[in-house]
Amino acid sequence: MEHAAEAIELSKLAGGIPAAVFPLGLPVLLIRLGAEVFALENRCAHLGCPLAGGRLDGYLLQCPCHDWRFDIRDGRFIDAPELAVKTYAAEIKDGKVFVRIPL
Amino acid sequence: MKKVTIYALSTCLWCRKTKKYFEEKKVPFKAVDYDKQDEDSQEKMMEEMRAAGCSGSFPFIRIGSDCTQGYDPDEFEKLLNKQ
Amino acid sequence: MNAQARKEALRFLFTPIVDRLGYKFTPAEEDADFLLEQVAGLEAQTGIPYCPCRARTRDRAENMRIVCPCIPFHRAHYDAMRRCWCGLFVHKDVTDPDKLRQIPESKVENR
Repeated sequence: MEHAAEAIELSKLAGGIPAAVFPLGLPVLLIRLGAEVFALENRCAHLGCPLAGGRLDGYLLQCPCHDWRFDIRDGRFIDAPELAVKTYAAEIKDGKVFVRIPL
Repeated sequence: MKKVTIYALSTCLWCRKTKKYFEEKKVPFKAVDYDKQDEDSQEKMMEEMRAAGCSGSFPFIRIGSDCTQGYDPDEFEKLLNKQ
Repeated sequence: MNAQARKEALRFLFTPIVDRLGYKFTPAEEDADFLLEQVAGLEAQTGIPYCPCRARTRDRAENMRIVCPCIPFHRAHYDAMRRCWCGLFVHKDVTDPDKLRQIPESKVENR
């Protein structure tokens, strides 16, 4: 079961700038790249630092705390594929971004 | 007797074990804690370690004209006895 | 937060990470406690839980490669030793860490 939770209006989501949202109270980071929106847990797999404020380079997001880098497409940690941040499916409907949260 | 110098970190377990090894062997040594030095001295120590082909891992031990890295009693023994 | 509480928090945070990497806390309890205390101390002092047995320099990118647990950045080296450089973590199948040797990185690469 999952729930498509409304997260933000698409017009408020600037391209290439990670935005912290809280669908169903969960810390989620949205990143808009072109026509796509990626959603991942806004918490580093290392020590839990918020990834918002991290540096984005293409599909790679670097945590601001200790520079751990994640691929925003699948959440994978670049230096050890066994580690990852959670990702969520994001969809755009009626000018709004919805995040699919497993229940 | 060969001159022994130990580059260490005050927070490093293996540096402590290394110092203890030489103490128990009654081999006099000079120990320098990298983290207690100023930045310029640290850079010099790091340059010396890198020139010897070692990374910035401690302990770094000079025994006579040889050097080694890490706590390894067999290696210490070998270098102390090397002619 | 007091030092003991932070040590426990770091143990809690590190355990699932190193587990996925095939490592565990060293079963040498006294060593684990000492090393974790040093990591927590370095974090209290610098804001970052650095490896207690590796040197920090002026280079941030280099320093970030020695933030605990630093296994991902030194995989081949640590896998060859079956533990990380400071010894806080060992391969899951290690029962007697005292039998392991510290091997310099340069000697692992030359093998």
